[in-house]
Amino acid sequence: MKVNTTRTALLLILSLTVIVQTTLALNDDFNSAVKLIERFYGVKHMEIPFLAKAGMKVITTAARVKGGTARRLAEAGSAKVAIFEDQSFDGDIMKFRTTLNDTLTASWSPIVQTLSTPNREQCYIFVRNNGDKFNVLVITIDPGDATVVQVTLSAKNLALLMKDPDGMGKAITDEATVVDQ
Amino acid sequence: MKSIFHYKYSKLLIAASSLMLTVQIAQAQTPKLQLNSLDHLSAKASETVDVSIDERLIQTAIKIFSDQDPDEREIKKLVSGLKGIYVRSFEFANEGEYSSVDLQPVLTQLQDPAWSRIVNITSKKEGNVEVYLRMLNDQITGLAVLSAELKELTIVNLVGPVDLEKLTRLEGRLGIPELGIESTKPKTKNEQ
Repeated sequence: MKVNTTRTALLLILSLTVIVQTTLALNDDFNSAVKLIERFYGVKHMEIPFLAKAGMKVITTAARVKGGTARRLAEAGSAKVAIFEDQSFDGDIMKFRTTLNDTLTASWSPIVQTLSTPNREQCYIFVRNNGDKFNVLVITIDPGDATVVQVTLSAKNLALLMKDPDGMGKAITDEATVVDQ
Repeated sequence: MKSIFHYKYSKLLIAASSLMLTVQIAQAQTPKLQLNSLDHLSAKASETVDVSIDERLIQTAIKIFSDQDPDEREIKKLVSGLKGIYVRSFEFANEGEYSSVDLQPVLTQLQDPAWSRIVNITSKKEGNVEVYLRMLNDQITGLAVLSAELKELTIVNLVGPVDLEKLTRLEGRLGIPELGIESTKPKTKNEQ
């Protein structure tokens, strides 16, 4: 009897640990990507005041999405944004790409990765399931600036992303970072 | 003692070699091409695009694409049964920045008897376009396109039951570039 109770308790603790670890890992990937950029390039992201975040709205950029009229792409309140402005992103692009993929691909699927070595521009789009919705992580880096954006998309908007990954990746970043005029 | 060590060491080496060989054979037997050998070209290319839509994402696409939208309905039909869509595209500033040596590891995989090159394929684009089909018991299990232009190299690999018509209809969608492929009753090399 005592053995059974101990075993059940152990199983419960183990299950709880796995659940907590999984939840933490899912939440930590955005931070891991930000920290990786900071470590790799020796840069620091800007803190965005809460009120400024609230002022960020979708504008005409969403209309660039193929076949779309102006619309909100990300689910309300889902956007996580880290911005790096006026800093130097000098470093081995291929090495960064490998490290980023090693960091994220356990729980994210990479859809599109675009690199321009001479212009030192990089864009990475990753997707993962989140219940009946989807998380999308878009990382863009150019010689002086970088952004990391994580949003939650509905199935319908994920369909748009899959049809036109490049255009939609830009639209997601613009929506999360461009302040309405 | 030394001989025992050598004996164990050689057994270990044989086991490791066998494992590596097994992995290589397993890789050659899958319709998904190993394209990592091309990674070094990214350092020379002015632009690199890498698209990976695995089976999980394709299943998701099939679930979320609407039957009401004609475009989505068509994509859904085209990708149904596919297990992967993989694209590697490199654009170079100058000619001669890649050579056939860079392509050799991919071509070696395509020399597997299960792969057949489709002949009489033309492309509206300049350069050399080669299309390969992978067959298993008269079923197509994969398709590969190698488009080699002077300043551009593109490799498209579709895994699953697919034909050239499907590929041409998927061009410009799901990250698959416009390859400009035109086929007139394609025949495989073996049928010639």
